[in-house]
Amino acid sequence: MTAHRRQMKLGAFLWATGHHIAAWRHPQAHVTAGVDIDHYIQLARTAEAAKFDMIFCEDAAGVREANVNIASQTSRSIGFEPISLLSALAVQTSHIGLVSTASTSYNEPYGLARTFLSLDHLSGGRAGWNLVTSASHIEAANFGSTGLRPHADRYERAREFAEVVTGLWHGKLDGASGSGHDGQSFSVRDPLNLPRSPQGAPVMVQAGASDVGRDLAARTADVVFTAAQTFEEAKSFYEDLKGRLATYGREPDDIKIMPGVAPIVAATEAEAQEKYEELQELIPDDVGIALLSSYLSISDLWRYPIDGPLPELPASEGMQSRQALVVDQSRRDKLSIRQLARHFAGARGHWRVVGTPAQIADELEARFEGGAADGFNVMPSWFPGELDAFAALVVPELQRRGLFRTEYEGRTLRDHLGLKRPI
Amino acid sequence: MADGATMHLAVSLVPEAAPSHPSDAGPDFSLLARFVQKAEAAGLDMVVLADSELVARGDAPNRQVPFEATTLLAALATVTSRIGLVAAASTVAHQPYNLARRFASLDIISHGRAGWNASMVPNPREAANFSRPEGFSGDDFRRRAEEFIGIVQGLWQGWDTDALLFDKSGGRFFDPEKMHLLDHKGEFFSVRGPLNVARSPQDMPVLVMSGLSEADMDIAARFADVILLDEPAGANADDLKRRALAVGRSPDAIKALMNVAPGAETAAGPEIIADRLEEPFRSKSCDGFNIVMPPVEAVFDEFVDLVLPELRRRGLLRSDYPGATLRSDLGLAGRDEL
Repeated sequence: MTAHRRQMKLGAFLWATGHHIAAWRHPQAHVTAGVDIDHYIQLARTAEAAKFDMIFCEDAAGVREANVNIASQTSRSIGFEPISLLSALAVQTSHIGLVSTASTSYNEPYGLARTFLSLDHLSGGRAGWNLVTSASHIEAANFGSTGLRPHADRYERAREFAEVVTGLWHGKLDGASGSGHDGQSFSVRDPLNLPRSPQGAPVMVQAGASDVGRDLAARTADVVFTAAQTFEEAKSFYEDLKGRLATYGREPDDIKIMPGVAPIVAATEAEAQEKYEELQELIPDDVGIALLSSYLSISDLWRYPIDGPLPELPASEGMQSRQALVVDQSRRDKLSIRQLARHFAGARGHWRVVGTPAQIADELEARFEGGAADGFNVMPSWFPGELDAFAALVVPELQRRGLFRTEYEGRTLRDHLGLKRPI
Repeated sequence: MADGATMHLAVSLVPEAAPSHPSDAGPDFSLLARFVQKAEAAGLDMVVLADSELVARGDAPNRQVPFEATTLLAALATVTSRIGLVAAASTVAHQPYNLARRFASLDIISHGRAGWNASMVPNPREAANFSRPEGFSGDDFRRRAEEFIGIVQGLWQGWDTDALLFDKSGGRFFDPEKMHLLDHKGEFFSVRGPLNVARSPQDMPVLVMSGLSEADMDIAARFADVILLDEPAGANADDLKRRALAVGRSPDAIKALMNVAPGAETAAGPEIIADRLEEPFRSKSCDGFNIVMPPVEAVFDEFVDLVLPELRRRGLLRSDYPGATLRSDLGLAGRDEL
């Protein structure tokens, strides 16, 4: 970064019909996204033409919602398995990074290291792995687990898992020379039977926000995704994580922090707001009530009139301070159960920005220049429309301001992100 | 043939040790893509992609391969449109839920052309890389593989073919009655389901089984769509079809392909090779052949350009793809009877 100004990194977070819970019901949403590879190839090309650093895929080894009535009113029970999806996209694109989530809870490090390295070869050095641990009972039941492991145990397994994977990628595990791995959760004897990565090693991404998750990220991650509603939250996370790097002998610039952002963009603010309301109207009442019930830990919310106010709630053990704030706000603003439910279903903990290209660029710029982000993971509300809109309206505005690249300068994901190549 | 049936042909890609690139130039996908496109232009039923276990024997670490087979399959699916694509994947290296997802997804990516080659021969090096240094006894490996395969096929059938409604205005994405939990609890695995990938465009990915010993034959009779048998295949193929009948499947529901490696013999002339394939096929020792060769273009070109026309001249080989999916090209019905 000598001659030109520091520029933001952008990820295109692809998820089925879109990130809004009712995305699939939007009249122009591609409702068969979960069974249509051509749709994904088109999205990848859109993101690549807009010079995004990477495509990002989430993953879970199970359906998302146990209640089949609720699940059947959303589009998230079926979709592509992301490794196969990204392998297909690898040979249909030429520059964009390809990052997939995979859990350390229900994989083995040798197999995962091998699969991602193969994706890295298919793409000429554009692969990344987003490490997560699984905290879902639905997933556990698909792997013979009787229950979830405690949080600390999950992260200890994840730490060992990451150590083995990077050891294999870096060619530092080799049983023949007596340096295989024999640890608490895993043992590995042989080196990988694939050539070394074209970018040194695939990029390591993490998303854990807990204290132990942050430490693991500080130790091993190249990129960190995070959810932050406010500027203060984002900045505090950013400073905390960058501050932990020195402990592991790393420089602040060795990690790129990319909070999620869910933009809705239109030529005018009123139009953007209207687009948002249109989506909110599509949230099925069952789905909204189920999400709100689970957030507020109330099991019988459906008994109350949906257009009436939130009932008096007994103070409960499960009630956190943030949830209490929500209840207070709903009383203050005299929101009905339905209104409150839609409010939650629509946002779901992510930073939503609704406005014109200039307004959205202003918001992103403020966090980028204000020491709260190195870039953003863009979560379009529905596909393909909101990705198209971001690429066509917001990206050129960021480029005009010198905040985002106009051409790829390298070929690998590490090149795009400005990351050091591992030795 | 009297009944008009023609032989099925697969080609197995045995990965060469990847060229040693000292620099950044990785293995070459385009070479493999050209090879598979050539096989597709020649009308072959399917390509079988080996993974590490097929190159590993003895006590040395596995030789290098260019790509892991399932990722390679996904990439090849986007540069081909008719040929079947089968990848090896080990029951030791994967969990059944993960493997079922991967292949279900590959099947949708390829529009119904994917298959899984489940080998019944354990790779002696593999378990030690998957946190099982003690390995599995032969009998445990077999019982575990049997349970594994049953789970995978069960998960593949968890969504009825008409489960997805996509009803935007009615607000119903799928019909809750048409999604089924597996609720499997067995000796080695317990898997609740359902799979989070939609139903296959060809009902289920094609299950190819290989490395079968006598003790594996009942498993293959219950689950396999295609079996790969070493020469001479006749007795084993007959045996297998009898066993299939015994478990209520049609003998035609399993296609037996005999492994042949004609590489060195192309010099003998296309007629000699065609004779060698015609005899066991006409005597119903097998339903076709699995041509095993390294991905060397010159060797494959000779086979495609000289031997295949000779087989067609004799009426032994179809000239185009009869169906839209691998299952239909192989003359296999859906597996609703299971």
